[in-house]
Amino acid sequence: MIGRRAAIAALCAAVAALSSVASSAPSPAPDILVSRQLLESQQLQVGDVVSLSSDTSGANPRSFRIAGQYEPTPDPMRLGAVRLEVRMHLPDVVGLTAQSDPLDAESVDAINVVLANDDEARATVRRLMTAVPGTLAERTGNDERRAAPFVVLERFHLAIAIVTVIASSVFLLALMLMLVEERRATVGMLRLIGFRRSRILQHVLAEGVVIAITGALFGVVLSVVLEGGINRFFQWRYDTALVFVHITPGVALRSVTVAVPLGVAAIFASSWSLLRGEGISLTRR
Amino acid sequence: MEPLIEARSLGKVFPMGGGPVHALRDISVQIAAGEYLTIRGPSGCGKSTLLHILGCVDTPSSGTLRFDGRDVSALPDHARSDLRLRSIGFVFQRFFLLPMLTAAENVDVPQAEAGVSRADRKRRTAELLDYVGLGHRAGHRPSQLSGGEAQRVAIARALANRPRLLLADEPTGELDRANGEHIAELLDRVQADGTTVVVVTHDAALAERAGRRLVMRDGLIEREEHAR
Repeated sequence: MIGRRAAIAALCAAVAALSSVASSAPSPAPDILVSRQLLESQQLQVGDVVSLSSDTSGANPRSFRIAGQYEPTPDPMRLGAVRLEVRMHLPDVVGLTAQSDPLDAESVDAINVVLANDDEARATVRRLMTAVPGTLAERTGNDERRAAPFVVLERFHLAIAIVTVIASSVFLLALMLMLVEERRATVGMLRLIGFRRSRILQHVLAEGVVIAITGALFGVVLSVVLEGGINRFFQWRYDTALVFVHITPGVALRSVTVAVPLGVAAIFASSWSLLRGEGISLTRR
Repeated sequence: MEPLIEARSLGKVFPMGGGPVHALRDISVQIAAGEYLTIRGPSGCGKSTLLHILGCVDTPSSGTLRFDGRDVSALPDHARSDLRLRSIGFVFQRFFLLPMLTAAENVDVPQAEAGVSRADRKRRTAELLDYVGLGHRAGHRPSQLSGGEAQRVAIARALANRPRLLLADEPTGELDRANGEHIAELLDRVQADGTTVVVVTHDAALAERAGRRLVMRDGLIEREEHAR
């Protein structure tokens, strides 16, 4: 029996009517959990007894005691929705809905089941579908249909990233050209003194590596700082615990791996024309 | 005795849009070790081009150049760089000091590149700055020095690796008379201390100080004069 194996919880998405009643007297009312958002919006407290109805008019209410609050599981598909939700035991859901329609006592549209062991999900789904014909059972996680919009979003992000890298490279090259052009006379002087081209190139590349690594690390630090800021802003804006930006070590490493060779290549390309020139010609403006 | 520099039939042609420009035509000259030679002539006569070729900054289009008995006219770039670093010092009209470095650091740079130890470099740098009379200005940057002082630092830098040949291109060109005289005296001293000095100049007074003077015109040596 699924009910015994799983912690039974039902989400009552449409809380039609909810009112707080005196909470001082002991009450036989069944316990419910209330979402933080609902608790805050109705200024409720744990221990309060509230009346819930599945009817929008508030007819046939039933009393429940708030046993605690919970943070709704972040769901990107419901971004922007105000999570005014309660969690209650399955018999309570059935009882609440059955009051408006006696047939409801016999039927439930959907049940979310949390398995104690997630590895059994596939087998449980198969067993359910076989045991109760007409029942559609599916995993909430790893659902390709639910992930589809995010796959598109991810591709869009990748496209933006590629365009950004190309534009940044052009900008970096232009910047390096200006930097190297400013050093034209210095390179000329060093060549006249007797510095070999290869030696100057070594200096230039070493400097390029230092600049590129410093720039890349600065970029990573900046993105981590922005990550916190962006997440805090949107979490506040949409009242959600969703994480909007996450800079993983892998992402940081990939960025550094792309940025450093790009920076070095840019400084190498910009220096090359300069190093090909004769020392004396470089000192002339 | 074999000359320090032996140039034979040097020619230099610059390909230009309006046709090739013959900067040097069949120049032959020998310069003995320890000699003081000046090259004079009107602007565009090829004297700086000759100096650059003698100093292995540029290569001749034709002819041969021997430095200390070795043919250097067709040396690869890195070999010419090494020769400049260890055997030839340059002084230019516009000093060409590295602006972000102090006087001492400017003198230190060629020695560091030549692999001289830190202790020896420090000693040599102090010695050279004293030699040019700027020991007290060692920590100053070029922008904090007068033109004459900057040129003296440039001479100290040119002498850093004890070159056999010092080449100077209009070393007094941007200096007033007093500073110019100071530089001229310094070049005399450098030559007296055993370094071969070749100076390109418009300054007749400076040119007169040399034991031998070449006068150039249109890429040719027009005449050669000797000190009386």
